[in-house]
Amino acid sequence: MQVALGIVTSIAGFVEVGSISTSLQAGATFGFQLLWAIALAATCLIFLIEMSGRLAAVSKHTLADAVRERLGFGYHVVPLTAELIVDFLVLAAEIGGACFALQLLTGIRFQYWALPVALAAWLALWKGTFGAIEKGVSLLGLIALCFVVAAVQLHPRGRDVGAGFLPSLPQHHAPNYWFLVVSIVGATMSPYLMNFYSSGAVEEEWTEDNLVTNRLTALLGMGFGSCVSMCVLIVSAMVLHPEGVKVESFEQGALVLTRAFPYWGFLLFGVTLLVECFGAALEIGMNIAYVPSQALGWNWSENVKPSENARFCLVYTAAIFGAALLMLVGVDPIELTRFSMAFTVLILPLIVLPLLVIMNDERYLHEFRNGWLANAVVIVIVGLAFVLALVAIPLEILGGS
Amino acid sequence: MHLVRDVLDKQLLGNDEERMGKVDGIVLSLRDGRPPRVAFLETGASVLARRVSRRLAEAIEALERRWGIRQGPMRIPWERVRTTGTDVGVDVDARNSSAFAWERFLRERVVEKIPGAKE
Repeated sequence: MQVALGIVTSIAGFVEVGSISTSLQAGATFGFQLLWAIALAATCLIFLIEMSGRLAAVSKHTLADAVRERLGFGYHVVPLTAELIVDFLVLAAEIGGACFALQLLTGIRFQYWALPVALAAWLALWKGTFGAIEKGVSLLGLIALCFVVAAVQLHPRGRDVGAGFLPSLPQHHAPNYWFLVVSIVGATMSPYLMNFYSSGAVEEEWTEDNLVTNRLTALLGMGFGSCVSMCVLIVSAMVLHPEGVKVESFEQGALVLTRAFPYWGFLLFGVTLLVECFGAALEIGMNIAYVPSQALGWNWSENVKPSENARFCLVYTAAIFGAALLMLVGVDPIELTRFSMAFTVLILPLIVLPLLVIMNDERYLHEFRNGWLANAVVIVIVGLAFVLALVAIPLEILGGS
Repeated sequence: MHLVRDVLDKQLLGNDEERMGKVDGIVLSLRDGRPPRVAFLETGASVLARRVSRRLAEAIEALERRWGIRQGPMRIPWERVRTTGTDVGVDVDARNSSAFAWERFLRERVVEKIPGAKE
């Protein structure tokens, strides 16, 4: 039961404004050719999530806790600041995604929705508990499975889909292709997912008995989550790519489900975008309060009354309404997502590198330290992250437009 | 024990295992002809800020005094340290100590004025 819930949670956590918009763009521009990028990023994420959960279950410390304690404030101040900026931008993008979904559904401009969406998100965090929010977001988030149904109904050719899993060089728009690779990695390996997952494990009082659950949740949850992302790409490749549509706004992407669901595809896309972005906004809102609370050693929990955790609650309050302000002044959510994904990749090496130290520290992990395979994977991810970080900004300039 | 590795930046836990900040600073007392000894552990925003910028630390301390939050950072005598390791346990009533000065200030002045904060 716990594993099933974890899987459902992961699907909901995986599918959000970044993964929906990058998968739509990738499928529309390059057909099935970028499926390998989602598969690669998801495989890396499975390892990173498993480690974050193992750290929390064994040591009762989250990733942000451990980085500060093990590597000191002198190191931590850099990834801490970077993660807070990225989280804030992604939070604004998720609120923007939800607002855009409401614009698609009602015809009322997205700026008008910024404050109501922010108020609803804040209210859910103010009154809700971690478990209630997680279960609500997860169950509603299953609506994203409509992309899986659509992908099956469209009968893609197995050979074409299979070829997409083999990395290949683009025949056209090379900067755009590589920029999408960077964006897919940024959308998949979100730093917030790692810290949020370890914070959730501490909130739910995981112990060493939960290590099997943790491993299965990381593997199956992130695996299924990435399948949904791949299905978004497949549907986009089959519907938008032949028409030559480039997804530069959600309106263009909204037509993607209309071939599989002719009468209500447009509505379904709007509701899916709304639910997934709103759910992700709640998770990022919590994480944006978890990170400074843990770095500075404050009392933190989503499971107690706001008056008992004043600093924790005020951080997410300020972040949610600050992020809504960005949407209110008319920042384009798709542009913001594009920028945030590139920025995420830029900071990824700083976030992943400490795992090499922490996950091998006997005082935190006892006999559950990393084996050679996990360490090798971390080294590969750090290498990959460094390369992508170096090319992220030049590619944003060349290929992001 | 290595002070930087085993004490600095570790989580401080009060009597009831309440999280009460990290060990932001360590105060040593120098003694003639004898090795220095640890006098206090410090925790608070201004101590942490001092590690980045002295002016920022002074600004935080001035703000804390002006708003009546506290008179400088919290100092915990080394004799009150119960345990070290991944966390540093101390013999202090955390919620009533000055480590919770900002928490109390924000709770009374802001959070409790928002509906639903106590439920």
